[in-house]
Amino acid sequence: MTADATIDTTPAAGSKRERTRAQGIRRFKWAVLTPFLALMLFILMPALLLQGYFSFFAFSIFDAGENTGFSSYFEASEWVGLDLWSDALSDAKFGLAIIRSLLFATGVTVGCFIIGFALALLMYRPFRGQGIYYIFFILPMLTVPIVIAYTGEMILYQNGPLNDILSIITQTRVEAQFLYKQEVALTSIAFLEIWNWTPFSFIIMMAGLASLPKEPQEAAQILGANKWRIFWEVQVPLLRPVILLALILRFLESMAEFPKTWGLLQGGPGSATETVPVYIFINAWQFFDISYGAVLSYLILFMMAGIVLSAIWLLRREKKSLDAMYESKPQEG
Amino acid sequence: MSMTKSQRRHTFSAFRYLVLTVWLTIVAFPMFWMVSTSFKPDREWFAWPPVYISENATLQNYLVVWADVSEYAVDETGNLETVAQSLQRPWTALGNSALISVISTTLTVLFGSVLAYGVSRYGILSEGRMFQLLMLRMVPPIVLIAPISIWYSALGLLDSITGLVMLYFLTTLPYAVWMSKSFIDEVPREMEQAAEILGASRMRTIWEVVLPLVRSGLVATFLFILILTWSEYLLALLLSKTAVVTLPVELSKYQGSTEGRVYGRQAALSVGITLPLIVVGLIIRKHLARGFSFGMVRR
Repeated sequence: MTADATIDTTPAAGSKRERTRAQGIRRFKWAVLTPFLALMLFILMPALLLQGYFSFFAFSIFDAGENTGFSSYFEASEWVGLDLWSDALSDAKFGLAIIRSLLFATGVTVGCFIIGFALALLMYRPFRGQGIYYIFFILPMLTVPIVIAYTGEMILYQNGPLNDILSIITQTRVEAQFLYKQEVALTSIAFLEIWNWTPFSFIIMMAGLASLPKEPQEAAQILGANKWRIFWEVQVPLLRPVILLALILRFLESMAEFPKTWGLLQGGPGSATETVPVYIFINAWQFFDISYGAVLSYLILFMMAGIVLSAIWLLRREKKSLDAMYESKPQEG
Repeated sequence: MSMTKSQRRHTFSAFRYLVLTVWLTIVAFPMFWMVSTSFKPDREWFAWPPVYISENATLQNYLVVWADVSEYAVDETGNLETVAQSLQRPWTALGNSALISVISTTLTVLFGSVLAYGVSRYGILSEGRMFQLLMLRMVPPIVLIAPISIWYSALGLLDSITGLVMLYFLTTLPYAVWMSKSFIDEVPREMEQAAEILGASRMRTIWEVVLPLVRSGLVATFLFILILTWSEYLLALLLSKTAVVTLPVELSKYQGSTEGRVYGRQAALSVGITLPLIVVGLIIRKHLARGFSFGMVRR
């Protein structure tokens, strides 16, 4: 991060006072940024470099022997060039893991958003009991994911309450396997994830709805627009950046979901819940194939960077057009 | 056919309560089940039909998990007790979790809000840089954890509170900056200018004018970051082996045990992990209503 991009350091007026002010700001900026940059430089950068090293030098746990010091990692690895990269690119299991993660994240994102937005629409105007509902609705977010995983297991268990409730409704003994059946395992985890993180979408949409300006809605009402039209033609356009943000953050966070998937099923049954984080974890930590894990990680890093950059591009565009809309208002009026 | 306005309002109101109550049930049921299971004696954990509220409610799960009462349970199925005993007592894990999450959250929010103030008032980071900062959060931590653990072993940071705090700081900072910036942006600059004209120093202006106005926002930010660090699992699992075990990792050991599932014990531990955050959440609930829009809405 360089200094030149953000502050206008040209001494426009040239006055001494302004120069010392600019200096003060610059000093403040570096004082604030230094600890952050130091961590980036001394923790993340070396990690990225090591990752790069191991993606070209295959590390073998068997060569490491008893010695577990830092140097042993280098003694136990040898140059293999692009071998691991071509392995990874033709790894069908890895491809499946990516597809699984994308499907999982999409489902979770849409689920969280629809429920969260619907609840926010029903709740953003004050009504009796609003406070109580609000507190309850954010509770899942306050619950630790690994707790949700195990509580989920107790509920989805063959003799658990969900099967009991289904049995009562259908009047037959239901013994559904929600977790240990390949076809439904990932979906069950997705439902746990939706339960966990709907509050996040809900809170963002509540904040968005609550802060919408009243005037355009009132104007539309006076012009005789019904609620439906006001929703689609006034509220939703104003909310677009918030909606996009809620979708993007949720998507990216669920791409990285690990505690529930791993904590409950470790990638099984079969490989039905081998999402990207689980697959990398299995390779790097169960097979101790640090090098292959490094290659997979780099590929995912590139993929995520692509997704994130396009997401950021979209967000910035939306935010800019919203800002432009608000700024053009005074001239019209 | 057509309804009057007040009839429509009534129908909407009824519809709203219906939908909200359905979701309330979905939200509350797992919580209820966790608490209820934590009081069940072991023979009811797997019973069919499942026991909703135990008539033989017992504190044994809590005693075995949270207090060292092995003799209390000797006459029960002995093998279950060995699971609990082979584990570190969770109080240590609770202490670690509390220490790590409070330290890292405090640092992150403090540092993040000062940075956010600089961005909001002096533009010390451009919009582009702000979005780059967000990238830090958006990359799954799993992709860097292996080299970080190797690097940490070289630095002697494996299994240390410092090591985890540094990583939590880095991974949660983007949210802290973005959230607190959205609250700081809402404070009108005119108020600060007025204070300055009245002769207040920079620090005093921030302390007495800006801070009270953004307090709710900072509290909400604090809770959100606290949630993320308190419940973090992956980094804690891989970077701490024996000395610094956190509560989520401690809980996952029960699942990994070879003794079979011990639902009641897990539930008793789960309640202990969940309770602190819920208590904090309830205490500061009025600050949360402001919500997080990350500056994506103009107010």
